[in-house]
Amino acid sequence: MRGLSPMAQLSEWLSPTKNCLLFSTLQESTFGAVLDMVTDRVSTAALLVLLTHFYKSHYGLFLGLLALDISSHWLQMYSTFLSSKASHKDMGDSKSTLLRLYYQHRFFMGYCAIGAEVAYILLYMLAAEGNIGSPYEVTCRSIGNGTVYGILLAIALPGCAIKQLVNLVQMKTAADVCVNYDYARHNSKAQ
Amino acid sequence: MEDSTIEDSPKQRNWPIYLYIPNIIGYARIIANVAAFGVAFTNKKLFAILYFASFVCDELDGRFARMFNQKSTFGAVLDMVTDRVSTAALLVLLTHFYKSHYGLFLGLLALDISSHWLQMFSTHLSSKASHKDMGDSKSTLLRLYYQHRYFMGYCAIGAEIAYILLYMLAADGNIGSPYEVARHAVAERTVYGIVLVIALPGCAIKQLVNLVQMKTAADVCVRYDTHRYSSKSQ
Repeated sequence: MRGLSPMAQLSEWLSPTKNCLLFSTLQESTFGAVLDMVTDRVSTAALLVLLTHFYKSHYGLFLGLLALDISSHWLQMYSTFLSSKASHKDMGDSKSTLLRLYYQHRFFMGYCAIGAEVAYILLYMLAAEGNIGSPYEVTCRSIGNGTVYGILLAIALPGCAIKQLVNLVQMKTAADVCVNYDYARHNSKAQ
Repeated sequence: MEDSTIEDSPKQRNWPIYLYIPNIIGYARIIANVAAFGVAFTNKKLFAILYFASFVCDELDGRFARMFNQKSTFGAVLDMVTDRVSTAALLVLLTHFYKSHYGLFLGLLALDISSHWLQMFSTHLSSKASHKDMGDSKSTLLRLYYQHRYFMGYCAIGAEIAYILLYMLAADGNIGSPYEVARHAVAERTVYGIVLVIALPGCAIKQLVNLVQMKTAADVCVRYDTHRYSSKSQ
């Protein structure tokens, strides 16, 4: 990630499909990458807002997921900027083992990200169809009944859960980057 | 609010940045926000008190950072992120209390996220390219806006206050669209109404500025690419 152009950095986060289109048509642009990122953030946010309405008793869960999505992506973005400014030896390798594993397996990454989106959409569909109760009850019931939604949920939910875990870890490592950035600047001044 | 441009050297070697006083105030602000939104549907007075407490923390952390020489990059980012999340949560609340107009508040949420995200990115790009490459892409409105920090503050605070007042009015039992509720409060000349009259113009200007900033930030992204390719071909 370090030392790469913004385009290359950004494409780390782009969906696999968009990435394919982007590079195959040779119409990559920084604006396009930012547009993609912003649309991701806003559409995920809107979906979670929807879920606070459909599962009002558990609005805190979805509000929390919204907070986590905004915070972790914001921190990641900022720490990427800082990393691209500082030299490699200053920043150190602040990524955790979990993150290293995560980033090495792009299809796994895709599964987790898509899993989260699919899980949210399915929860919406189930609630909109009249299933009442907490999101946990609705999920258990649809998996127990072996419906199409239930089967898809069973596949998507682990990915969703891992994505949230990764978001949490990324917040911590990104915060560390911010802290190390200040220490590195101070050390280089003191020399 | 912290000045994000300069960090102080971590002179106090034994004082980890995570435990800087302004950052601890930042954590307290987050806790106050979490507690506030936890009770938003059940206890509007407590929500107002907690949200006000987080507002106080937001003001204090900048002052303490200057006072104790404890400015940090982490502190500035913490401040930014907390701003974004608490504004988002407040707008989510308003989609619930004004369900018939949830699109308005969802739109404001989308605008808040998009404009700040684009701004942050374009600032990063500008800091990489030289000044003459980027050109002065700011519009006249933005130049005016940024030259008057108190005016900026009024607009930003106006938006937050307008949202909180709309929440309080709805939680008090006022029903109808946000426009009706606002007009009603203003006409009745209640305290809420008077404060709304003061806050709403600032709120409106803030949204306008957000829109303009999105456009100019997008222009920065485009110009960044154009310039890289033209400098390569030279």
